[in-house]
Amino acid sequence: MIDTVTRTRSYRSRIYAIVFFYLVILSAFGCSTNGMKQFIRPDYDIGSMKTVAVIPFRNFTADNFANEKIRSKVSIELLSRDINIIEPGEIISVMRELKIRSVDSMRNKDFVSMGNMLNVDAVITGAVETFGISKGITTSYPEVSVQLMMFETATGNIVWSTFQTSGGASFWTRHFGAEGSTLDNVSEMVVKEAFDSLFGR
Amino acid sequence: MHLLKKYVPVLMVLILFVISGCRSDIPVYHISEDIDFSYYKRVAVVPFDNLTNDKYADEIVRQVVVSELLASGLVDVVFPGEVKSAIAELGIKSVSTMTANQIKALCNALKVEALIVGAVEEYGEARMGNISAPQVTVSLMMADANTGSIVWSITKTRGGASFMARHFGARHETISETVLLLVRDSIRTLYRY
Repeated sequence: MIDTVTRTRSYRSRIYAIVFFYLVILSAFGCSTNGMKQFIRPDYDIGSMKTVAVIPFRNFTADNFANEKIRSKVSIELLSRDINIIEPGEIISVMRELKIRSVDSMRNKDFVSMGNMLNVDAVITGAVETFGISKGITTSYPEVSVQLMMFETATGNIVWSTFQTSGGASFWTRHFGAEGSTLDNVSEMVVKEAFDSLFGR
Repeated sequence: MHLLKKYVPVLMVLILFVISGCRSDIPVYHISEDIDFSYYKRVAVVPFDNLTNDKYADEIVRQVVVSELLASGLVDVVFPGEVKSAIAELGIKSVSTMTANQIKALCNALKVEALIVGAVEEYGEARMGNISAPQVTVSLMMADANTGSIVWSITKTRGGASFMARHFGARHETISETVLLLVRDSIRTLYRY
């Protein structure tokens, strides 16, 4: 009888220990989520977009070339989705012709003029807000955040806008020192996720 | 004594959850009760004041505000380049010290119903004991185009490491996530109106 009671108590303690352990693990995964949101102009048909100009991005990071790195990832991502892009040299030459000194000073009419001169359906621009290795509490991790905007060249209106960020180190990297992604992989992933959400794949 | 032993593990779990629970900061905000916010269809986000040591903090937060306002579906937003040109054309030297007349003139030039102005007060790592975590504080205001008066304002802080992050290495937000969620929470206060 005493043996049965002891066994029941021991069984219960084990159950408590397991439940406690799982709760700690679940909490360790964290309860935050950035839940990406984007804007797509309701009357714009993304499928009609065949040729796009990816104009220079703004750079808010300490890496002097972060904007160009992300811009090239955006170009590759568009090409991989069978969307034609205009050569960067052509874009620079048109920007000079239109006397556009920087992307942040562009007006809606500039997007329309650029669209006419380059014969493109849309112009994509954006800003790189974070690009580098960030330091967490226990580990360092690559962090990339980009804001992308697409303008319809027929009207100069914003037809797509999104803010995408990579997030921090994974559970396995934080707790078991597993190898994390490189900065290049993370930037590729951020750009891919942004376009996945636009094209729905 | 036996009863105490039986409930100690349950009590520990409860205490742990109370201490570490998902924190929710209460934002300090003002909203004009007599204003119909569905009237605002198009707004412009003017350059923010940067009260931090990070030279791009204002532009980073501004871009997120533009992106989140568009994503919220509440309003259409003027491209920042248009805003910059209009400010230059009107000869406005400092957007943080705009008069009601300048606000009205800028709104007319941009064909918007309201202006969003703001300031980034904190942007970076905040140190707590031997660890540091991202912390961001932002103030946002909406000025009406017809009257030039403030119809919505909010000041909100987000960041820091949670109990679980500090003691068990749980995931904590990156600075980009902190900015994004802070701006999203701030804009959400407009949803109910």
